[in-house]
Amino acid sequence: MSDFFLSPVGLQHWLVVSTALFSIGIYGLLTRRNAVGILMAVELLLNSTSLNFVIFNKFATPSAVDGQIMSIFIIAVAAAEVVVGMAIFVTLFKHRKTVDVTSMNLLKN
Amino acid sequence: MLMLPELTIIGTAFLLIIVDLFLHEHRKAVLGGIAMAGVLLALGFTIGMMPQSGELFGGRFAVDSVTWWFKLLFLLASLITLAISIDLLDGRIDAKHMALQARGEYYAIMLFSLAGAMYLASARDLVTLYVSLELATIPLYILTAWKRDTLSSESGLKYVILGALASAFLLYGLGLMFGLTGEMNLEAIGRSVTPSPTFWLAAAMVTAGISFKLTLFPFHMWAAEVYQGAPAPVTAYLSVASKAAGLALMFQVFYRMMGHQLMAWAWPLAILAALTMTVGNLAAIVQNNIKRFMAFSAISQAGYLILGFLGNSDEGIPSMLYYMLVYILTNLAAFAVIVWYSNQTGRERIEEYRGLARVNPLVALAMMIALFSLAGIPPLSGFVGKFFLFSIASKAGFHWLVAVAAVNSTISLYYYLRIIRQMYIEPVGQETRALSISPVLAVTLAITTLATGAIGIIPMVYETVSAQTISWFLPFIH
Repeated sequence: MSDFFLSPVGLQHWLVVSTALFSIGIYGLLTRRNAVGILMAVELLLNSTSLNFVIFNKFATPSAVDGQIMSIFIIAVAAAEVVVGMAIFVTLFKHRKTVDVTSMNLLKN
Repeated sequence: MLMLPELTIIGTAFLLIIVDLFLHEHRKAVLGGIAMAGVLLALGFTIGMMPQSGELFGGRFAVDSVTWWFKLLFLLASLITLAISIDLLDGRIDAKHMALQARGEYYAIMLFSLAGAMYLASARDLVTLYVSLELATIPLYILTAWKRDTLSSESGLKYVILGALASAFLLYGLGLMFGLTGEMNLEAIGRSVTPSPTFWLAAAMVTAGISFKLTLFPFHMWAAEVYQGAPAPVTAYLSVASKAAGLALMFQVFYRMMGHQLMAWAWPLAILAALTMTVGNLAAIVQNNIKRFMAFSAISQAGYLILGFLGNSDEGIPSMLYYMLVYILTNLAAFAVIVWYSNQTGRERIEEYRGLARVNPLVALAMMIALFSLAGIPPLSGFVGKFFLFSIASKAGFHWLVAVAAVNSTISLYYYLRIIRQMYIEPVGQETRALSISPVLAVTLAITTLATGAIGIIPMVYETVSAQTISWFLPFIH
């Protein structure tokens, strides 16, 4: 354990950061009640995966740029996803005056 | 020229958006025709180019026999969905407040999703795979919320959040695969990856992401909510094209990236299949809304579908492709009736199909044939498809799973018969009268119903699929 804190920053340290980011995203997704907050948590999840690609690019294939290109695509797609999500939330807000996900219970058998 | 079908679809989508700008409101019925013509043209190109293989862009886009079959399935599903959408979008309906707005954009967005699914089948590296997957999925979020009422938006919200979560899981898994091998090409990853704890974590996360698309057991709950709230033709599209895209993704990941480890991954898949079909069937029994009911029926069908991944016998690939073809035709025949009935009357509850056979006997007959095929009654094609899949599981040594699947087929017959009982045995309601059916929908219903019966009896269909794809996966597992 002390090796982890004393050694210079390497692959393991970065992976701990990205895993922590992913876990925070999952926690936020499960506990947030506002749909916009959930979208922010989803953004954390996607950033964590994007960070993963950059980390592995640096440590596994330092000469190539494939992982970095992938992370740029992830950022672009995440933006598209958020745009669509926000448009849907706005429509929903016009009808219900709330985007609290605990009150989304009209669809039932 | 290998990309001609995709380019045709994208060209048609842009053409629709532009033509839509210059058309007067009462002449917009032509848009549905343009969309169908574009898909038919792409279908023609696909069938014309079918057996050949080749690659573009340094191997990032490639076609082979299985890829062509997937493209054929996507195009077929979209063509039939467009045909059953026209009724709703052109306003030839009796129920009030049911017509959808913005036809041009609706067709264009559906075609973009189709193009994404087709690129997904051709993707050969992680970037192409991920971007085409999202191109296939994000338009579906928009289409789900298209009605802009409170239910449709609610299902859109659920779909967008859960869909984003699933793609985050998939991406994390793909990131680990990239980290283990340092390769972006799917087949290069498959060649150099070796079993290790990290690999199994990546495999589990990728499987979770795919399970969401295919509605496998612990990730299936979105299906019921989204199918119920979405406009009926979108539900039809989701239940077939989105599922076929999930299967294409599963082929890419399981055969190309994890081919050597697939035998070790058979047990988790078998458990997933058993749980999916059991949960789907048991939940379907108590449903009263027909779209929700079809969602659980689709979940249990996905459970049968992944039996084809067990073992490494040659026939797994053609069996799954054939079952997908059968499922697309059968499910869309059932959905053509559901869409038509909800357009004409606004009714979606199972009891409200009461007495349909007395007033519209032919439509009720088509619905009955489709439901019997889904339940797997011989000689309909659903039986033949299930027979091939069960025999794959049996050859792989999973006899208990075949028993579970057979019991589940019997349970499914009970709830499919509930609808047939309402249509044929229950007395006609008071104000029920014969409902009119538009020519496009009538032709679609006739073709899908006849095909449901025919492709189970004519041996040529399965033989063609089998001859072209039977040893496709050998390079990935040896």
